[in-house]
Amino acid sequence: MNVGGFPTKEELAKMIDHTLLDPSSTYSKIEKLCNEAVKYGFVAVCINPLHVRLASELLKSTAIKVCSVIGFPFGATPTKVKVFETRYVIEDGAEEVDMVINIGALRSGDYERVRNDIEAVVEAASGSIVKVIIETGYLTDEEKVKACQLAKGARAHFVKTSTGFGPFGAFSSDVKLMRKVVGSKMGVKAAGGIRDFNDALRLIRAGANRLGTSASVSIIEGLEWAKYSEAWFIEEIPCKICASRHSNLAKQPKEVYRYYKSKCRTCPHRKYNVFYEK
Amino acid sequence: MKGWMGKIVRINLSSSKVAIRQTNTDDLRNFIGGRGLGAKILYDELALATDAYSIDNRLIFCTGPLTGTRAPTSGRYCVVSKSPLTGTIFDSQSGGSFGPELKFTGYDAIIIKGRSSRPVYLWINDGEVRLVDATELWGLDTHKTTDTLIRSTDCRAKVACIGPAGEKLVRIAAIINDKHRAAGRGGLGAVMGSKKLKAVVVRGTQSVEIADKKRFDSAVEKSLRAIGKNPITDRSLPTLGTAALVNVINELGMFPTKNFQEGYFEDAEGISGEKIAERILTGQVACWGCPIACGRATCADRKRGEGPEYETVWALGAQCGVSDLIAVTEANYVCNELGIDTISAGSTIGCAMELHERRLLREEINFGDAQAVVDLVRKIAYREGIGDQLAEGSYRLAERCGAPELSMSVKKLEMPAYDPRGAQGHALAYATSNRGGCHLRAYLIGPEVLGVPALIDRFKWQGKAQLVMLYQNLFATIDSLILCVFSSFALNPEHYAELLSSAVGVPFSGERLIEVGERIYNLERLINIREGFSRKDDSLPPRFLKSPLVQGGSRGRVVALRRMLSEYYRLRGWDRHGEPKPAKLKRLRLVTARKTLEKN
Repeated sequence: MNVGGFPTKEELAKMIDHTLLDPSSTYSKIEKLCNEAVKYGFVAVCINPLHVRLASELLKSTAIKVCSVIGFPFGATPTKVKVFETRYVIEDGAEEVDMVINIGALRSGDYERVRNDIEAVVEAASGSIVKVIIETGYLTDEEKVKACQLAKGARAHFVKTSTGFGPFGAFSSDVKLMRKVVGSKMGVKAAGGIRDFNDALRLIRAGANRLGTSASVSIIEGLEWAKYSEAWFIEEIPCKICASRHSNLAKQPKEVYRYYKSKCRTCPHRKYNVFYEK
Repeated sequence: MKGWMGKIVRINLSSSKVAIRQTNTDDLRNFIGGRGLGAKILYDELALATDAYSIDNRLIFCTGPLTGTRAPTSGRYCVVSKSPLTGTIFDSQSGGSFGPELKFTGYDAIIIKGRSSRPVYLWINDGEVRLVDATELWGLDTHKTTDTLIRSTDCRAKVACIGPAGEKLVRIAAIINDKHRAAGRGGLGAVMGSKKLKAVVVRGTQSVEIADKKRFDSAVEKSLRAIGKNPITDRSLPTLGTAALVNVINELGMFPTKNFQEGYFEDAEGISGEKIAERILTGQVACWGCPIACGRATCADRKRGEGPEYETVWALGAQCGVSDLIAVTEANYVCNELGIDTISAGSTIGCAMELHERRLLREEINFGDAQAVVDLVRKIAYREGIGDQLAEGSYRLAERCGAPELSMSVKKLEMPAYDPRGAQGHALAYATSNRGGCHLRAYLIGPEVLGVPALIDRFKWQGKAQLVMLYQNLFATIDSLILCVFSSFALNPEHYAELLSSAVGVPFSGERLIEVGERIYNLERLINIREGFSRKDDSLPPRFLKSPLVQGGSRGRVVALRRMLSEYYRLRGWDRHGEPKPAKLKRLRLVTARKTLEKN
C-alpha cells in the first residue's frame, strides 16, 4: 500500500518556512515556533520584524534561519522604508527577507519603480536571501509574468506567490507560471492557504522549492498518512484548485476579478464548475 | 506483558459466582484490548442467535493497554455485548474517569453473564469483588444512584450505572458513568438491566506498569505536541466543544433536519456551539488525562449539567425541527439522568414526527415542538404511553407503522448528525459499519469536511472505499488501545504505534496496528455473519440513494453506494455477499473463526 513519489518528512521539512505572521502573536508563541522548527528541522522561521531578535537568539546555535517580512502585507510603503526595515531585520539577525512588491505601481505599469524597489531591498539585504512576494491575487497572468521578470532582473533569489493576507493563496497554476518565467536557477516559494500534505505536495509538483505555511507541523505529521492510501492523491476537480474559482469581488479589484471569471468561460474544464448542482 | 494488568473478572449473576482469570496474552497481542478484546471474548463465548436479553449474552467492560496511563485521551473504557437494538456485536465507548479507575482495581476487563434474581450492583475495591444488593437503588435515576453508591462505598469510587430506561429494557438505553458520560449507543444499558445489574462501582489504587518509561514519556510528549498544534484539538474543540460543527456542517448542507428530509436547518445558529458559549456554558470539562477538554459544563433553566454536545443538539434539535437551546439542553439532561442514548432518542422522536406528518402515526407529535421532545424523552425512559413504542427505536416504530424506510437507521441503529448525501465516504462508512449507523467506526468527516489530515473531495466516490477501510481499521485499533477518536485529528498511526510499543514492550509499527484493526474488523464481521447479517444489511435508507437534497450546500446529491460497496468488498478481500474470503482470514490468522462460522 505504500505510495511512492513523495518526499520524506525530513526532506519536506527542509522546504518549509515555518511561519507565524499573525499580528497578535505573543513572545511565547514565537518561542514555541522556534522550538518546533528545531524539532522538525524546518529550513527557516518566517516572522514579523518585531520578533527577529528574539528568534535569532533562540536559534543562534542551530541551522534554522530567521526570515522576516518587509513592507508586509501590502507592499505599499516607500522604498526607503523597506530599505530601513531590511537593514533593521538583518542587523537583528534575519538571514532571509520576504518583501512585498509595490503592487499598485506594478498595476500602473510603473515597472521601473517596482524594479528599483526590489533592487534597493536586495542591496540592503547585503547578500542575504530576498524573496519577492508578488501577491498573485491582485494580478492578471500578464502582470504576474512581468513581476517575476522584474524580480529576476533585480537579482532577487526567490519569487513568492502570496502574503497569506491577500485575496487568495498559492495555486499550482501560478507556481507553474512563475517557475516557467524565472527558470530553474531562481527559487519559487508558494505561500498562503497551504493546509495539508496534499496541498504541499501539489505545489511542489508544480515547481515550488520552498513553502510558507503556519500548518507546517500538521503537514509533516500528516505525511505519515500518505503511505496508507493512494486515495489521498485522487485527482481534484480542477475548479477546486483553480484561482478563477476562488476569485472574490469583495477582495479583488473588479478588473482582476473579471479577468479571472472570464477565464472560466473558455476553460476546457468548465464542465466541472458545477459544485452544488446535479 | 506491561500495560495490561493481567487479570480478568468473570461474574455469573445467576449463581453470584465470581472468578478471577489471567488475561490471555495471545488475545492481547492479536486484539490489543478494549473493543478488540471484547470482540474476541464475545466470538469465543456467545452462542449462535443468543437473544440480547438472554442470560447467555455477555456484558463485557473492557479497558485497554493505554487506559490509565499518561497517553493523552486515555481516560476511557468500553462495553461490548450483543445489542438488543441492532442484533449485531456492539461496543460502546465512554470517557470520564470510570475507565482508569476500573484498571486501577487490577483488572483489564469484567465479563458478566447470567441474570441476578434481584437487583444488584458490582463493587470492585482494589481487587476485591463483591455483588451487593441494589433493591433500594432500583428505579432511581443515574445521578441519585451515583450519589448513593459513592456515599455507601468510597468517596473516591467511580460509578457506571443504568437509569430507569435500562431497567425497563428500553432498546436505546445507555450506561451512564460519572453522571454525565455515556456508553450510549446500541442499548447496552438494557442488557445491563436485563441482568438486573444496576451499577458497577470501582475504586483502585494500583498503577499501570510501563515497559519503557523513557520512551513512553517521549511518545507522550510527541503526541501532546501534535495535539497542541492541531487547530481542531487545540482551538475548536476546547473553545466551542463538539457543537463547533453545527454551523460548519449546516453551511455544507449536510446538517440533517426533520428526520433527514433536509440538509440545511434555518435555525441552526440557535443550537450552535457559539450559542452554547453565549447562553449556557459555565466551564470546560475534560475526561481523565485529556488535554483537549471538549466537554461543556452548562446551566440551563437553573439546572446544572454537562452538554449538549454536537450529536445531541442535532438529535434533540434539528432532527426534530427544534431550535430552542434551553429545551434541547433540558432533554439532554433528562437523557443522562434516565439513561438514554441522545442520538437514538432524538432520531426516534424525529422519525415519529415524520410518521405523524404523513398520517402514519396517530399521536400528535409535531416537528418544532420543543416541549414534546422533553416530554417524550421521559416517556421513552419509563415506557409510558407512546413512549413504549418509541422505546423500541426508530426502526421498530416505523415498521410497526408500515413505513420502515422512514427510520433513518442502518442495521436498526439511528444514524448521527451528518447527512450521507453530503459526504460519499462517510456514507459508505455508515453502510458498512459493524454496529450500524455510526460515525465513529470511520470518521470520514475528518478528511472530507475538516481537511484532516488532508482535504479530499466529499462528493467524489472514487477512492473512498480505500479510505473507509483504512479508517475502520485504524479506529478499531484506537477503540482497542483505548484512546479517544478525537486524538486522530492530530495523531497518525505511527504516534499510536509508538505509544503502544513503549507501554507494553512489544514492537508495533503503524502498519501492524492497522493490521490488528483489520483483524478486529473482520472478526466483528464474522460475528455479524453468524447472526445472519449480509450484503443486504450494508445499505442506507432509500432516501439517501434516491432522493436528492433540494437545498443547501449538498443539494442535488445522492449516495453512489452500489459502486463504492463493490469496490469496498474487493479491497477488503470479501466475496460478493460481503463474507471474508479464506485467503483474507488466513492472512489475518482468523481461520479458526471461519471454521466455527461454517460449522454454525
